[in-house]
Amino acid sequence: MQVLFNIPGALREFTGNQSVVRVEAEAGANLLQVLQALFVLYPGLRDRVLTETGETRRHVNIFVANENVLYTGGLATAIPAGAEVSIVPAIGGG
Amino acid sequence: MALAPGTRLGVYEIQSLLGAGAMGEVYRATDTKLGRDVALKLLTHGALDKVSPGHLLREAQTASSLSHPNICTIHQVGKTGNDSYVVMELIEGRSISDLIAATGLSMEIVTRYGSQIADALAHAHDRGIVHRHLKGSNVMVTPEGRVKVMDFGLATRLDRKEISELTLSHTSLESKLVGTLPYMAPEVLRGQKGDHLSDLWSLGVLLYEAAAGKLPFRGNTGFEVTSAIRREPPPALPSTVPHGLAAVIQRCLTKERADRYQRASEVREALEAVQGAVLQSRHPSEDPRGPRKLVLPGVEHLSVKNGDVLLLVGTNKGAFFLRSSRDRLRWDVAGPYFHGQGIYAMAYDGRSGRHRLWVSANNVMWGAFLRSSDDFGRSWTNPLEASIRFPRESGASLRNIWQICLGRNDEPEKLYCGVEPAALFESADDGESWSMVRGLYDHPHRPRWMPANGGLILHTILPDPCHKNRMYVAVSAGGVYRTEDGGTTWHARNNGIRVLFLPEKYPEFGQCVHKIVLHESRPERLFLQNHWGLYRSDNRGDSWQDIARGVPSDFGFAMLMHPHDADCVYIVPVESDEFRCTPEGRLRVYRTRNAGGSWEALDRGLPQKGAYETVLRDAMSSDSLDPAGIYFGTRSGKVYGSRDEGKSWKKIVDGLPQILCLKAAVVHLDGAPTTKPNLKSETPKRPKISGTKRVKRRKSN
Repeated sequence: MQVLFNIPGALREFTGNQSVVRVEAEAGANLLQVLQALFVLYPGLRDRVLTETGETRRHVNIFVANENVLYTGGLATAIPAGAEVSIVPAIGGG
Repeated sequence: MALAPGTRLGVYEIQSLLGAGAMGEVYRATDTKLGRDVALKLLTHGALDKVSPGHLLREAQTASSLSHPNICTIHQVGKTGNDSYVVMELIEGRSISDLIAATGLSMEIVTRYGSQIADALAHAHDRGIVHRHLKGSNVMVTPEGRVKVMDFGLATRLDRKEISELTLSHTSLESKLVGTLPYMAPEVLRGQKGDHLSDLWSLGVLLYEAAAGKLPFRGNTGFEVTSAIRREPPPALPSTVPHGLAAVIQRCLTKERADRYQRASEVREALEAVQGAVLQSRHPSEDPRGPRKLVLPGVEHLSVKNGDVLLLVGTNKGAFFLRSSRDRLRWDVAGPYFHGQGIYAMAYDGRSGRHRLWVSANNVMWGAFLRSSDDFGRSWTNPLEASIRFPRESGASLRNIWQICLGRNDEPEKLYCGVEPAALFESADDGESWSMVRGLYDHPHRPRWMPANGGLILHTILPDPCHKNRMYVAVSAGGVYRTEDGGTTWHARNNGIRVLFLPEKYPEFGQCVHKIVLHESRPERLFLQNHWGLYRSDNRGDSWQDIARGVPSDFGFAMLMHPHDADCVYIVPVESDEFRCTPEGRLRVYRTRNAGGSWEALDRGLPQKGAYETVLRDAMSSDSLDPAGIYFGTRSGKVYGSRDEGKSWKKIVDGLPQILCLKAAVVHLDGAPTTKPNLKSETPKRPKISGTKRVKRRKSN
């Protein structure tokens, strides 16, 4: 199945400047699996989205369609075919 | 014919000729009534012949109603005898055309200038005023980096006959329209009256030219140029132009008017939206997955010569580099590098002929990464993967890199990093690969170390310069640890260091040590600034004695060893852990020259009233010259320097973000007098800190 990722501006240097990338993943894959497929294509993204222990960075949010995966099972969230996954920096500053 | 200096036109006295163009001559003149210098444009008869003089003057008068920071203000329109003149704001600076031709513009500058021009157009369009003549030579940039759009309402209008002459011309372009034609919108070339949408086309041409360094529509004859404008798509922009910026330019250059942006404010908003991305835009790279090298395009870079003194200043919003010659009188400032990121540690590695800058850059969203540059900041390593990472089985993940420490001189490939959560990492291959020092991480004390205010951090690393296997580290809050066997085993070395936040006042470990220093000529002796307490150890940390005699407070963070005098140590006391500011609002450095026997205040040149400052633990440093330069940075963003070992101080720079660390170094470029000749500057020559109006050079003492 195909999954579409929206890449935030700050990370596009690792996707050849593409704001949207498409990734082929196995049907029934969860978020972690489709992320891993994304990281194979764009290895610069992995350490910027996840920590060494494989958790989403504290100030990074991931949405499937419009839903924050925090409320749908985190990295285990099921991803339907054709889903649109957005990697979004959290509100920050200071 | 040029007017002679001293000629008067009304209240205006001509000073000198500034230039001449299609419209007439421009003079520098003095408004004798208001006592200010102005630019006076004397309109030639030729210019007025094209249109009704009254009409042109009416337009200029209308334009004089515009008041906008990015529009050159028209003060007055007047007539003297047969001549008409327009009096304008005098703008000192260079045109964008000149800047493009001289050095090229970085993408960050293109978007910044572009949004200012768009804002100027939006202001004028909202008032029904169209420029009709926008081009690179009509847009000035002041030394402060402010764009000023000139000649609103002063454009001559072409009639149909002229247009057809121009567009059908097969001879080379020689007319005075040579500079204007490439900016003209296709509809204007078809004979329509220029309007706000044709201004946006011209803005697109200007942005294209600024980003690509060449015009989008070119040709040897008027026919070729107009034919390209009317029929050809603009050639693809170079890959160095970020996608977002290219998209904005593309839309301005849409031949179908309905598909263009419809308002200048939309262009401004689009440019502002891409500005952040442009700052991080990638360098052209073979690898489409991402660059290994990052070039920061919006940044002024230093030109560094052999023997220069460098100050690496890390702030919570980016890194700045300061450079001076050995006299340490005047400083160039470059930055910010790693815009918006916290720079917690920096180092200059001059070992073995290198001149490498190391930076720990912490992006609050995307994590902490170690970067290095071998060309004083022009390009940086940009690792795809984090090079410092906790082993999986540790269950820990890197939060920050607090210290970068060079190995001993005889181990030029060796580097160390102290990180949060507290751990020591080492590299034996010049920073290519890193491994965690297990002996310390597995220490039985570690689970009982407590995070201090800044987190649980390993912030100080001191290799013994004479003993290859001995090293000290300091952890907040864990205390001092020493290894004698190259890191396999570690022992707490805190005997005599008091703890105020535990029931036991002299525990084996758990101290919140803020900094330790040693001098290479007496490596057995250590000095220590504690969370409350100043100490010295004469036996490699086996025991510590209190040396806080004659200081206003023994609380503080920064501690610095004099580069040549093993008895001389500097500190900047702060009042208390609750009020972490200099006591009594007086900024004073304290120095001992007898190894802590007594301390003296060094305050000449430092503010002694209302100066509630803090100097953080890594924000004080010295160069290696004689007399030594001593430098420190404050949490309020000021850098002070002394070139007489602290006797007197001068403020070097002010207004930086909060300073987290500062490192001084003297640059040795063997056989290379300068780094500059082969590197094209990416930004205008004018020295300026990106995005600010800060004066770049400051005199020091």
